[in-house]
Amino acid sequence: MLNKFTLLFFVLLAMLVSFAAYSHGVDDGTKQFLMQNQGVAFVPFLYIGAKHMVTGYDHLLFLVGVIFFLYRTKDVIIYVSLFTLGHSLTLLFGVLANIQVNAYLIDAIIGLSIVYKGFDNLGGFQRVLGRQPNTKLAVLIFGLFHGFGLATKLQEFKFSEEGLLENLLAFNLGVEIGQFLALSLVLILLSIWRRFDSYMQFSTVTNTLLMSGGLMLTMLQLTGYFLS
Amino acid sequence: MNDTNVPTQSKSTLIKASIAATVLAVFIYFALILPAEYNQDPTGIGAVLGLTQLSDSDDSSSESQLANDSSSSLNTAEQPVEESIDQIEIIVPAGRGLEYKFKMKQYGKLTFEWSTDGSPLYFDFHGEPEGDTTGYFESYSIATANDVKGSTTVPFDGVHGWYWKNKTDKEVVVTLITSGVYEVIGKPH
Repeated sequence: MLNKFTLLFFVLLAMLVSFAAYSHGVDDGTKQFLMQNQGVAFVPFLYIGAKHMVTGYDHLLFLVGVIFFLYRTKDVIIYVSLFTLGHSLTLLFGVLANIQVNAYLIDAIIGLSIVYKGFDNLGGFQRVLGRQPNTKLAVLIFGLFHGFGLATKLQEFKFSEEGLLENLLAFNLGVEIGQFLALSLVLILLSIWRRFDSYMQFSTVTNTLLMSGGLMLTMLQLTGYFLS
Repeated sequence: MNDTNVPTQSKSTLIKASIAATVLAVFIYFALILPAEYNQDPTGIGAVLGLTQLSDSDDSSSESQLANDSSSSLNTAEQPVEESIDQIEIIVPAGRGLEYKFKMKQYGKLTFEWSTDGSPLYFDFHGEPEGDTTGYFESYSIATANDVKGSTTVPFDGVHGWYWKNKTDKEVVVTLITSGVYEVIGKPH
């Protein structure tokens, strides 16, 4: 049992070290494309959206937390749809209305959403507050913040007004495709793991690690906020 | 409302989990993340693991304290070391000329593409050496065009860029995209 814990610890450590080199912004190739693009470029924006979500570990960690104890397909669909609704609303609204929010602060809140979910998965609120906060509402609201996070990444560049709506919709659709792909993989892995007794035994450890990861993310983003 | 089967942990488990999560996060943050992202290494572990190399290119010192300030003898505010990509739209009024410049170090490379919204413009792409008082400048290219791209490696420290002259009777908008290591001066006056 000590071995499994150690293994999990080192896997997480390795992941964190590799993520440190990737700053979860927009890479240079995408930057150059966005700057020079004029007009509708549906498939490229679709791809960029999907890539952003698949590599967006902060969004994915939150989703993993959300579906961790969702066993019925119907529940998974409901919660993921609420998250999708939330982030789509603010992604579209944020870019179209040119809402300016500090990217570091939003990303720090996204980090906190991960801490919240890990704590919630431990039954933390039930134990501490005596009641369970409305989980569906929380997912929707945190989804709104995730969407602003997505919007700030796009807003870093003044890209062409021409075709903005189509490109934005393509990006949004790409985000959903990326989310679907990433979630499918996660669900497959979870359903395999759920067959073992260790799933429940390790749910505490896993959600503790989720809280920890969320906390690291929050600290990283706050550092960025205060240093710039 | 809880329509899922979330097991409620005991208070002591929650406390232990929260403390463990925080301790782990703080440790990894100071030992790994700060060295890798911001070149701060308060525990010294980052240097041992070689993580400080990841953010070393941003800072000339490889060992730094938490109180590290951002200026060192090699790095003043006027001397950029990070490559940037910029896009700007410049309006050249009818019958007028104007300049748009970048401050660069010798042998710096400027990659550029500019185009107008139609009309060709006379241009002189040139550089003025730093500290020069004679008015000397070196023209890298002079022509009339509406769509130019390329790159140049500047021969000296100084201010480099374009002079565009709009000889038509309508204003012309130039879209300029540049990448390189420079400080944007823009229009000198």
